[in-house]
Amino acid sequence: MTEGALLAAEAVSTGEAVTFWIVGPVALAGALGMVFSRNAIHSALWLVLTMLGLGVFYFVQQAPFLGVVQIIVYTGAIMILFLFVLMLVGRESSDSVVETLRGQRQAAIVAGVAFAALVGAGIGRAVYDAPVVGLEEATADGGNVVAIARILFTDYLFAFELTSALLITAAVGAMVLAHVEKEPSERRTQKDLSTARYASSRPGTLTGPGVLATSNSLDTPAILADGQPAADSAATGIEMRELPPVPDHDTTPTKGTPR
Amino acid sequence: MIDSPSVSYTGLSPVLFVLGAALVGVLVEAFVPRAYRWGVQLGVALAGTLGALISVILIAGRNELTLSRAVAVDGPALFIEGTLALLGVLSLLLLAERSPDMGGSAFVAQAAVPVGTVRDRQLATLTYSQTEVFPLATFALAGMMIFAASNNLLVMFVALEVLSLPLYLMAGLGRRRRLLSQEAALKYFLLGAFTSAFFLYGLALLYGYAGTVDLRGIFDQAAGSEKSDALFVIGLAFLVVGLLFKAGVAPFHAWTPDVYQGAPTSVTAFMASCTKVAAFGAIIRVLYVGFGNNDWTWRPVLYGVAIVTLVVGSVLALTQTDVKRMLAYSSIAHAGFILTGTIANSPAGLSSTLFYLLTYGLTTVGAFAVVMLVRDADGEAGHLSQWAGLAKRSPLVAAVFSLFLLALAGIPLTSGFTGKFVVFRAGLEAGAAPLVVIALVASAIAAFFYLRVIVLMYFSEPAADGPTVAVPGLLTTISLAIATAATVLLGVAPGAVLDLADRAALFVG
Repeated sequence: MTEGALLAAEAVSTGEAVTFWIVGPVALAGALGMVFSRNAIHSALWLVLTMLGLGVFYFVQQAPFLGVVQIIVYTGAIMILFLFVLMLVGRESSDSVVETLRGQRQAAIVAGVAFAALVGAGIGRAVYDAPVVGLEEATADGGNVVAIARILFTDYLFAFELTSALLITAAVGAMVLAHVEKEPSERRTQKDLSTARYASSRPGTLTGPGVLATSNSLDTPAILADGQPAADSAATGIEMRELPPVPDHDTTPTKGTPR
Repeated sequence: MIDSPSVSYTGLSPVLFVLGAALVGVLVEAFVPRAYRWGVQLGVALAGTLGALISVILIAGRNELTLSRAVAVDGPALFIEGTLALLGVLSLLLLAERSPDMGGSAFVAQAAVPVGTVRDRQLATLTYSQTEVFPLATFALAGMMIFAASNNLLVMFVALEVLSLPLYLMAGLGRRRRLLSQEAALKYFLLGAFTSAFFLYGLALLYGYAGTVDLRGIFDQAAGSEKSDALFVIGLAFLVVGLLFKAGVAPFHAWTPDVYQGAPTSVTAFMASCTKVAAFGAIIRVLYVGFGNNDWTWRPVLYGVAIVTLVVGSVLALTQTDVKRMLAYSSIAHAGFILTGTIANSPAGLSSTLFYLLTYGLTTVGAFAVVMLVRDADGEAGHLSQWAGLAKRSPLVAAVFSLFLLALAGIPLTSGFTGKFVVFRAGLEAGAAPLVVIALVASAIAAFFYLRVIVLMYFSEPAADGPTVAVPGLLTTISLAIATAATVLLGVAPGAVLDLADRAALFVG
């Protein structure tokens, strides 16, 4: 056993301790921030911070592969996907504050904290001053990455292959829940649409909202020449604004209004 | 250069048949025109499950660990795989039922179309349905088989996910009362994901304790170890939470009634029978193979859990007014009965658990198949008051349902009696007399609500606008006939199957 390994087996090196005490509080702050943020986007960003902290821990613990995977896959891919989804579904916090069971929240907090204390104390007692074992063997022959590759294709080969069933199920499930299959007859081609438009009474483009109106907002209908709102300029999916009454144009406008 | 692990394809053949059917099913979904899909999918799925059943019979008696000790091929594993394949066939027949008299298929035409839209109402008038349920069901079945056969906690975890994901999806694909069905799927998914995390955390702690996820490795590490037991005990506790959730054992049972009620009844039949079999298969393997020498850690806990389960299941079932919810609580109570045998930690405990799982699964599939038959204009007539006087409308269906209820209650000459008898005997031999007494009281309470339904069916006046009893389609008829025959046979002449369970009760590894 080399001197360095002996050191690793018995004590934590200074560098590791310093890194831990710097990154540890940051990761913990990220976790707390994630739980207590009102805004879902902020929560996600706090979680990114925690995950980056965990990635650093893995590097320090001589698990470079895990560290890289943590940062690239979790922080890089999954969390960003998460942010995409949050942006798509809207980010307003719509937490229900109505308690269906009286006192449920308080009871849950007390029980949760007590449970965490129990498990934390138990695990802390078990691993405090526990000897470091297995690092030598795990990284002996070609290092961490080679060792992971080896056990992935020997001891854990079946778990690895079985994961493919999981991925197929997930793909099928996503298709089932999100994909609406269209009948061939209900899909209108550009040609159909064009024919229908020229057959209609108004082949030209419709007026957009806001044209000649007092505002160019999307919820303002266009104004016709007589000052009435144009009904067919309404945008779909939003409620149109009520226009102020048409001003009376009988009075002659004053000339040369000073700017 | 690494040596690839040896694979016993013969030993794995039941799993490979079902997994193969699932993969072919996904391809069928992509390439076969919609008009033929239903038939082809049913054929593929049945070929896979029947193939698995036949290969289990052919390789019975094998004892080996394959794929670097990841998967066990031994008596309990093969017995559970055979039971799952048989129940899988029966459930697939129910899943595939689409006779017009029973309201067509139970599955939605397109799950992605929002509930209540114009398009949704349009699709409800069409006959086709989402045929993805067949590959999903076979994936779930493969996951269940591996779940009960894995000798390695990591494989067990992946198998747990493989069996759970399709079930979450299938629960949400109901054609009628779609919002209820989707709510059931969401509840099941959230709670299931939560307990999967418990399982995974327990796995990690046990790895921290033993340095291995191999069940035998954990057994060896725990024998005569000087290490602190804290990681071992906490890890085991978390692991057991994950397992008990899948088995629907109180206090982790809260999802059961809602999910059983909301999911399409054929899916409920599949979940209630197969999932319970797989979960108990995994529980006995983990506890006996991995922790058999340390039963002071889990026996007292499971003793208490069994009592809570028995009380919750049988007492709350009394208050139910919906047939599916009543059967859900009855399934919770049955989990308690099975635990009575399991905590024995003896070969008798193992063989009685295996036998009980088989009888319970067959009876449950049958009972839910009958629930599919009693219908009114809105679909299935779930409320118990609608079942009043059913015997006058349809004596045969009422008689068959009564048989299943009597079997669930454990009346002599039905399979349920034999099952209860063997688990109680195993519990008594292991010195769990108080538990057996509580289980007996619980079965008396349970018998009351089963008999109440029978009384309701036979001695009440039928409601004026009561439900009609649909003529079962061919597939449901086959399924019901097998379940009925098995329930009677296992009650009258259980000897051969009991022998089989006894001979199967030996773990490898």
